[in-house]
Amino acid sequence: MTYLVSLLLIALIVGLVAVASNPAPYFAALGLVVAAGVGCGVLISHGGSFLSLVLFLIYLGGMLVVFAYSAALAAEPFPESWGDRSVFGYVVIYFVGVGLMMKFFCGGWYEGSWMIIDTFKEFSMLRGDISGVAMMYSLGGSMLVICAWVLLLTLFVVLELTRGLSRGSLRAV
Amino acid sequence: MTPVHFSFSSAFILGLMGLTFHRTHLLSALLCLEGMMLSLFIALALWTLQFEMTGFSAAPMLLLAFSACEASAGLALLVATARTHGTDRLQNLNLLQC
Repeated sequence: MTYLVSLLLIALIVGLVAVASNPAPYFAALGLVVAAGVGCGVLISHGGSFLSLVLFLIYLGGMLVVFAYSAALAAEPFPESWGDRSVFGYVVIYFVGVGLMMKFFCGGWYEGSWMIIDTFKEFSMLRGDISGVAMMYSLGGSMLVICAWVLLLTLFVVLELTRGLSRGSLRAV
Repeated sequence: MTPVHFSFSSAFILGLMGLTFHRTHLLSALLCLEGMMLSLFIALALWTLQFEMTGFSAAPMLLLAFSACEASAGLALLVATARTHGTDRLQNLNLLQC
């Protein structure tokens, strides 16, 4: 089980190396999809199934879809993949950097750190993370209202930024 | 440093370096910023799960909501850049050239 989780962690690092080496944005979005998928796997293996579901639905299904079709604004006739000379140099440098940091910082296997949040500890029917998110509606209600207000404000910010013909906040657009 | 802690910390640092050394497209920088937000979500969720603080699991959800706001503002700026300059390549943003 710990081998599976360590494989998912390695895939997370590989996915972010694929994003950070700056290929064409199509391929960077693909790297982010892979990284988010294995991140969900890491969260599931620690017992957070609801948070993993939220990550999949909102992050992958909401935000990354928007980024994927905004990649049409960055269209190129010959998109650079990870095998092209300039991108491959960055990939090698990032892998070497991660390897060096792993040598210095990663001490060992740490047997006791691969924990799972325990369902049956307090005779509860629900897992820990889903009942914690439900607290956001009861005791954390003010934070929820603030969050909804900030989202509404961001909608108006986006509308003002892209209004066009010097009527919005940017004079050039 | 435990392997889990090392992996999301190095994921954050990799996203930060990709944001710092971005080369041609503005959208690549925005995608590296999204990668940093992903590593922060995983970090907060694992904090909740490994310390068994169930009340803290609202924190990754709120982080996701605010990062959606930030991503939408960044994409609005990308659209504005594509409207004025025709593309989002960073060599066109050269008003402050030395």
